[in-house]
Amino acid sequence: MNGLLNISPVYASILVVMLPFFGFLMQAVLGKKSNSGNIGLATIILSVCVSFFAVFLPVWNGAPLTERMHWFTVGGKPFYVGVMLNNLTVLMQLIVGIIALPVHIYSRAYMRNDPGIHRYWMFLSFFCFAMLGLTISTSLLQLYVFWELVGFASYLLIGFWFTKESAVQANKKAFIINRIGDIGFLIGIALVYTHCGTVDLGELFGPQGVFLPAVNADGSWLTLAGLAFFLGAMAKSAQFPLHVWLPDAMEGPTSVSSLIHAATMVAAGVFLLCTIFPLFNETVLLTIAIIGCITALSAAIFALGQYDIKKILAFSTISQLGFMMVGVGIGSWDTAMFHLATHAFFKCLLFLAAGAVIHEMAHFKATHQLDIDPQDLRNMGGLRRYLPTTFVCMTIASLALAGFPLTTGYLSKDSIVVQAFEWGFHLGGIYLLIPTTLAAVSLLTAFYIGRLLFKTFFGKFKFAEKLQKGELHDAPIAMTGPMIFLAACCLFPTCSFHPFDYHQSWLLGGFHVKTAFAAVAEMHSAVPLVLTLGALAAWGVGWRWYVAKRYPLSKNNRWVRFATRQGYFNEFYQLLFVKGTEQLSRGVYAFDHYVVDGLTRTFSAATRRLSVAAHWFDRHMVDGLVNLIAGTTYYVGHLVRHVQNGQLQSYLGFALTVVVLGILYLIIK
Amino acid sequence: MGILSLLIFLPLFVTLLILVLPESAGRMYKYLALGITVIQLGISLYLYQVFDVSSAGINQVNGYQFVEQLPWIRMDLGSIGLLEIDYFVGVDGISLPLIVLSTLVMLMAIGASWNMTKSGKGYYALLMLLNTAVVGIFSALDFFLFYVFYEVMLLPLYFLIGIWGGERREYAAIKFFIYTLLGSVFMLLVIVGLYFSVVNPATGAHTFNMLLMMDPGNYTPDSFFAYANTYHNVLGLEPRLIGFIILFFAFAIKVPIVPLHTWLPDAHVEAPTPVSIILAGVLLKIGGYGIIRVCYSIFPDMAALTNWWIALIGVVSILYGALNALAQKDLKRMIAYSSVSHMGFVLLGIASLTAEGVSGAMFQMISHGFLSAALFFLVGVIYDRVHDRYIYNFRGLASLMPKYTAYVAIAFFASLGLPGFSAFIGEAFVIIGAFNAESMATGLPRWMAIGGSLGILLSAAYFLWTLQRMFFGQTRLFGGQAWQSALTDLSAREQIVLFPALALALLLGIAPSLIFNNLNSSVLQLIDLIKPFL
Repeated sequence: MNGLLNISPVYASILVVMLPFFGFLMQAVLGKKSNSGNIGLATIILSVCVSFFAVFLPVWNGAPLTERMHWFTVGGKPFYVGVMLNNLTVLMQLIVGIIALPVHIYSRAYMRNDPGIHRYWMFLSFFCFAMLGLTISTSLLQLYVFWELVGFASYLLIGFWFTKESAVQANKKAFIINRIGDIGFLIGIALVYTHCGTVDLGELFGPQGVFLPAVNADGSWLTLAGLAFFLGAMAKSAQFPLHVWLPDAMEGPTSVSSLIHAATMVAAGVFLLCTIFPLFNETVLLTIAIIGCITALSAAIFALGQYDIKKILAFSTISQLGFMMVGVGIGSWDTAMFHLATHAFFKCLLFLAAGAVIHEMAHFKATHQLDIDPQDLRNMGGLRRYLPTTFVCMTIASLALAGFPLTTGYLSKDSIVVQAFEWGFHLGGIYLLIPTTLAAVSLLTAFYIGRLLFKTFFGKFKFAEKLQKGELHDAPIAMTGPMIFLAACCLFPTCSFHPFDYHQSWLLGGFHVKTAFAAVAEMHSAVPLVLTLGALAAWGVGWRWYVAKRYPLSKNNRWVRFATRQGYFNEFYQLLFVKGTEQLSRGVYAFDHYVVDGLTRTFSAATRRLSVAAHWFDRHMVDGLVNLIAGTTYYVGHLVRHVQNGQLQSYLGFALTVVVLGILYLIIK
Repeated sequence: MGILSLLIFLPLFVTLLILVLPESAGRMYKYLALGITVIQLGISLYLYQVFDVSSAGINQVNGYQFVEQLPWIRMDLGSIGLLEIDYFVGVDGISLPLIVLSTLVMLMAIGASWNMTKSGKGYYALLMLLNTAVVGIFSALDFFLFYVFYEVMLLPLYFLIGIWGGERREYAAIKFFIYTLLGSVFMLLVIVGLYFSVVNPATGAHTFNMLLMMDPGNYTPDSFFAYANTYHNVLGLEPRLIGFIILFFAFAIKVPIVPLHTWLPDAHVEAPTPVSIILAGVLLKIGGYGIIRVCYSIFPDMAALTNWWIALIGVVSILYGALNALAQKDLKRMIAYSSVSHMGFVLLGIASLTAEGVSGAMFQMISHGFLSAALFFLVGVIYDRVHDRYIYNFRGLASLMPKYTAYVAIAFFASLGLPGFSAFIGEAFVIIGAFNAESMATGLPRWMAIGGSLGILLSAAYFLWTLQRMFFGQTRLFGGQAWQSALTDLSAREQIVLFPALALALLLGIAPSLIFNNLNSSVLQLIDLIKPFL
């Protein structure tokens, strides 16, 4: 271990990135010969160990390290690749690794016996490589490369079951919507490059960077660049109105959803904004806060109406990402990173637990040959008696999500909401709407996750009469083990020794973010108190509705339907953008075929007509003239021929006629 | 005979050899062709290896490498003076990468023609003749020589499409031929005009030397194409502008630009797979190369004047081609239209007149060269097996042909600009260059760059749609059981052809300096040439 500690964190971090890549290559070469996933697992274990001991420990709260090498030169401008290690990047790298590890272990049991399992391990290792590389990139261009590669890995994994039509529709949708964001990102890079002459993060945002806090007040390009980068983050982090891909992405294996579409990749947008935070001016920050707020609210509302257990969690992820965006938007991006870290654990756990439930339900469905959706909440109920470990883990994660005390979620969510209130008070007036909404969303969060828990684990199992003893049971230790580990990480000691005061957290302490607004002491006690009591009340209502079966709303309630159908966004986009583009492309092709190519054809037809006309002219006019002359000559010759007929009488007669005509001429003259 | 001449005329020698060989040696042809293209690739890679990256070329003769200059035609024309035509070849950072590309694509084309049975003698002879013409075009520095190679290129292509093509091959061949000829006939007028305007300072005679045409000092005052001409005008326009536009259209037909692109879908669809590969891989690049080497270098003043319009044409081509590709139901036609879209990036990049944009355009040409070759080859794979390319007739090929699907997926993602592959570098730097144009005051507005980037989005749409429609889902084929057994996975030969192209796309995506290093000084020299006129 000492030897490992002595290697430079820079090289260690490269090792962290390359180990999964090596695993990917090995798996790609071995193919079906290696289905166990041992390669992927071994590389990620090594990677996490190196990440923690040789990168995180030496760098955290130490001096930032940057190492870069020349990549290529375009014209006269050099571009670099390299590694940038500071508190933000090493933390992110560690989180990714620590979440990826239990997911790998879990997958060994969850994905066992899948015919395409070798592809699964290959893609998973590839994702880890891209995501770990993303965290420590030193230039925007390098970041962009990994940014798209994680999107590609996500595409591959969403469509892992490629014979399933819905899955391949979903991965296409995910990639294309992410492409919209990528274009924003690319435009942002282009703008920064033209105005600053570099895309190196160190040169831009470092201690002597272009973006020293006071310098960035000028230029509308800055607003444009900020919004462009935010567009990138919006697509990746599924912000309103680009959130539609994430619920569909749940078509992938649940283990994938937990790693990529809950804990790590979708948080990359937030991470990007934190990395380039000094670039944002007030307009952009306000936009970020507003979009984040709308996202948090709308996704929470949609989550209320879902019946698919994974879709609820997907909307919950979107909503929580909205919280993080607000954290960035109000200027305290440290709280956003804090929430990102805690959210990664509890949301990953929620998905893994949901996966365990779905696994059992799918088994049950197969045994009894039922035609049910194993992910539908309405087919569950009372499962806590059969899956106690899963139940406990899921409850802990739900408590963390709802922000109950003693969990990490309590600390991180409060840090955002409290600071949002302070920000609101600082600016006053309408700005208070944002923190108030966040507080309301917190209560909604408690309610929808309570609904999920109650409907899944409480009440009576829907198919209880068919159930044989011991048929539904907890997952094997390979699945519960990672869940227990993550559940432990959802408790407050992971990030702070003080259960109620987020200021004590070692994580926030590492960032030293100075905010423009003053602390308001009352908020630090009032907000947590109100939110906790509110969450309790929400669970109370949830209990009454779903467990005590006093559900007050009609199934066909318009608002319920609105939430279930996700606000009709999919239908709207389908109509406006998908159909619109299809129509446009068909129109353009018709134009191409009939007008552009038509012109060519018309031209060639006209040329052919012209040549026919020329031929006619040639034949009847030019040649006609020639023939006319020839004919005339012939005819004249023919006429004159009669003169030379060899008869003396005729010759004399002609001579006489000519003489008479000559005499007549002389007389008349 | 210099090494460059060897590179140009080796295939011509093989053409003659093939022609004199008796029909009984028919199986020799393809091995001969293969052998010679391998040697050519080796020579071009050797040239690439020993190329001195610091010398710029473009308008300086001492910046060119492997130069050979021999008097070719000298004729005393009395009062007009001495006719001076040289055999003048050489390469710089712009032409050398394209030469390497064309030798590689030729090799791929030979690989793709391996199972071709119809009159191999004529086929390989024409292919080798085409090979000579293409390498000749990329190395010629004398305009007359350039034109000769340019016309020689047309002849084999006409027959290759017209004899070995698909159902409507004659229509497509004639359309292709006439379109290109239309451009080159007018080009000849401008060449003659330039000849009479430029004087070789060393001999005092008029000249076809392209490098001399790039120096404003060599134009006789009052000549037709003289700079700042006040004596002549055509329809109220400056002759230099007219000359530029005519040359631009001659090459733009090859690129092709919208609306002069309609020969391309027909030619691609009707051409046999190897010829599609050559068309997309090399011939379109002649257009881009001509614009840089001829239009922009000989008429730098007009390049600076018209770049707004050229960029607009580029953006229109990008979006128009992409939308058309989205509407296609024939796989080959879809890829043909995607070529129009991807070549639009080349125009946008060149017109940005920034180092990033021009480098990006060059990179895009190279990358599109072997990626489109790979794409057409992949279409050929499926067409060989079932003689159908209609997208809706296939579904769920991934279960049936996993290796093929993997290759297609990689080629598609590489083409839609996934980072790590070469197309990404090309497109990204075209966009960055187009954005940079405003800062460099070259006169391109930013909305053009944004418009171009929309093309990247659309390319994802049509490639992913095809992938989803043809390869994923449950297997369902139009031809039923017969197709199911006919659709076997890739053979070793097919993998040998495909693997290098895709590996190269990956290699260049990861290490773009392999291209940029040889490119940089030439690109900067080109920008310096044009800059005074901005």
